[in-house]
Amino acid sequence: MTNLFNKKMKRWPAWVVMLFCVVALMLIGTQRDSGPSTPQERIESISQRLACPTCDGESVYESRGAASQAIRKEIARQVADGQLTDSQIVKAIDDSYTADLKLVPGGTGFDALIWILPIVLLIVAIAGLVVVFRRWKAQGALTATDADRELVESALRQVSENRDS
Amino acid sequence: MLAVSINAAIGRGAILLGLLTCLSGIAITVAGIRKHDLRALKSAPRYAYLAFGAALLAFIMMERALITRDFSMKYVQQVGSRDTPALFNFTAVWSALEGSILLWLLALTGLIAAVARKFRARVGDELLAWAMVVLFVVGLFFFLLSFGPANPFAMGALGVNDGPGPNPLLQNHILVLFHPPILYIGYVGFTVPFAFAMAALITGRVGEGWLLETRRWTLYAWGFLTVGIILGSWWSYEVLGWSGVWAWDPVENASFLPWLTGTAYLHSVLVQERRGMLRVWNLSLVIATFSLTILGTFLTRSGVINSVHAFSAGSVGPWLLTFFALVVVVAIILIGRRGDELRSPGAIDSPLSREGAFLANNVLFSIFAFVVLLGTVFPLIVEALNNRRIVVGEPFFDRMTMPLGLTLLFLMAIAPVLPWRKASQEVLRDRLFWPAWCGVGALALSVIVGADGWASLAAFALGGFAAGAALRQIALASRRQGWRGVVGRANGGMVVHIGVIIIAVAFSASSSYTRTQEFVMNVGETVTFADHTFTFEGLSLESDDVKTSVKAAIRIDGDSVYSPARSKYIKQGMDIGTPSVKTGFVNDLYITLEGNVRTTDTEARIKIFVKPLIMWLWIGGALMALGTVLAAFPGKRRQPTAPVSADSVLTQSTTDEHV
Repeated sequence: MTNLFNKKMKRWPAWVVMLFCVVALMLIGTQRDSGPSTPQERIESISQRLACPTCDGESVYESRGAASQAIRKEIARQVADGQLTDSQIVKAIDDSYTADLKLVPGGTGFDALIWILPIVLLIVAIAGLVVVFRRWKAQGALTATDADRELVESALRQVSENRDS
Repeated sequence: MLAVSINAAIGRGAILLGLLTCLSGIAITVAGIRKHDLRALKSAPRYAYLAFGAALLAFIMMERALITRDFSMKYVQQVGSRDTPALFNFTAVWSALEGSILLWLLALTGLIAAVARKFRARVGDELLAWAMVVLFVVGLFFFLLSFGPANPFAMGALGVNDGPGPNPLLQNHILVLFHPPILYIGYVGFTVPFAFAMAALITGRVGEGWLLETRRWTLYAWGFLTVGIILGSWWSYEVLGWSGVWAWDPVENASFLPWLTGTAYLHSVLVQERRGMLRVWNLSLVIATFSLTILGTFLTRSGVINSVHAFSAGSVGPWLLTFFALVVVVAIILIGRRGDELRSPGAIDSPLSREGAFLANNVLFSIFAFVVLLGTVFPLIVEALNNRRIVVGEPFFDRMTMPLGLTLLFLMAIAPVLPWRKASQEVLRDRLFWPAWCGVGALALSVIVGADGWASLAAFALGGFAAGAALRQIALASRRQGWRGVVGRANGGMVVHIGVIIIAVAFSASSSYTRTQEFVMNVGETVTFADHTFTFEGLSLESDDVKTSVKAAIRIDGDSVYSPARSKYIKQGMDIGTPSVKTGFVNDLYITLEGNVRTTDTEARIKIFVKPLIMWLWIGGALMALGTVLAAFPGKRRQPTAPVSADSVLTQSTTDEHV
């Protein structure tokens, strides 16, 4: 009885209901996604996109150094000004330093390789898997050797002998 | 004071002894193999014990030098101090490059001795003998490093009577005692499967024998590395003051890279054990994991990258890079030589099978490792080829690894319920139904409590889905086997999965929903933030021989007082902040004292971070460690599934021969 109920439960209408629930919940959740809500959170978010100019590989957000504090102050001033978007603030601060402060490499020139190479690897990996699975499938279709047939025949013989006895 | 320190003399002598012991171990074992001389082979363990004894003696002499304040030694002048508290004086051994190599050496030789002891009754076996040779070679390399470019026993300038002590960040938390040794055991632990893999390639016994011999060694190495990484995150959270646990710093990445390939290996090895497939792949993963530990050591200790965690630049860089290149080249040649023997006899029938899922998991982990490696070394490549300095930071890694992490969570949900060979639609529908509803439940719960953002919501939903699948497996196994339902590789693995899922969910929540506010507060002032009240009760001064600290007293919700501080380390002249954290199951309240403060100030800049689910990161980590231990217990042994029906008898006999 329980098994029957379980089987009925798991038929496709239940999966459709599940899919509907997921889509509805995701829509509700993503609709209210408004990004950083307070000026302070905007400052934190921008400071995570800039490198500390004097530290060992830390972002302005992580660093407690004097240079990072100065940049944080500048971000706070720009945010309070309300004239620029987050990306424009990042660009303005980056432009004001000779060193490259952006923590995300650009999408053009040599820097673009850092974005392209993983995608190329992904494509190659997927293509490789497709090729390998095709080869395995073909191999699977051809592997019924004489030994296989003999094995199956002996098993079948045994089954029929058992049945007879 | 003696012109030559007794500590330095004995320590250096011990390093030389270790070096010669490893050299002799290699010579005797290789000669034993060549001449089939069992007596020579039987002596190999003795060389392993002696190498360990030498490393231990060197380590003890360094500790003695630090404890007795032997400032005639350069290393003690660099990291020792008369005022350093006993605990941090003890841990000062691994607070700089030369001493950290000494700790590495101690862990490595300890492991070599453990392998020698474990297999002492079977030293006549050629596979084991070659594995010992490889272990001695690795040991020899690190003894050489310690004898030459990273000599911890060099004599210092005359007339020095005191030193600065370790870096302040290495003397303000107890985790300095645990994180580096545990992490190092994890790193060196992968030397064992590497040695057996190389031995398998040398002897041509590339079946499943070497895998079975090293199964537990690999598992423990992975477990130690996992715990080491998590303790490192905890330490960073408690000490650095920016409230984060992971910054994609090059040194963090150096530990994460072997973890990724090691995790891939732990999964793909199951396919070889069950189906006799993926032989080249598994060998490559083991070699990659070991090579990445060497590459990580190079990145951390050569001075080529900038990181707060990195050691200062030394001359070990070229040595480590050469050894890394040597390992890779020799491994490739050996794999190439065994080409045909490594060909797998089987085929994966369908992508919708357990082995298909493991293959997908391996592809994802490999791409993940590639992304992390590329992001870590890309600034070096740009500087070398374009003569420009760039920084690749957290936003890049977050953007690139997030889809990979979500896909891995999805695979964690699917893979445990998939049967070997091929899954039918009915089986999938039946087995995934309740786990999928767990995912919907997790999503609904997160929406109800106010979660937003598609990535976080997807992480919670997939986390619920994967947790449902893992719990289903544990429930089924427990129903069949009672208490053994959580023991053994498959079941213990599910406990590890639950730990990973908890960490993924907690990491996603703490990254996405951290709230921050900075307040300039007067003494006696109370502010309200995130439904909590914070009262600033004043500043106080505490000083000892090492540092002077200004502490702010912050009363939270009218209850306990928390004291973030800013400390000036007298000898280094370094000013560092120490956060104070109120830990909770739902939120952590993380408080820092900002800017330059004096006790006479009547106001202070206090920064408050509300960090959700942080405690669950540590709980998840503990579950991963527990799951690793459970997975190492012998579970119910299954018969391997034949790779192909016709070849099964032949393959089985060949495999048995080699085991």
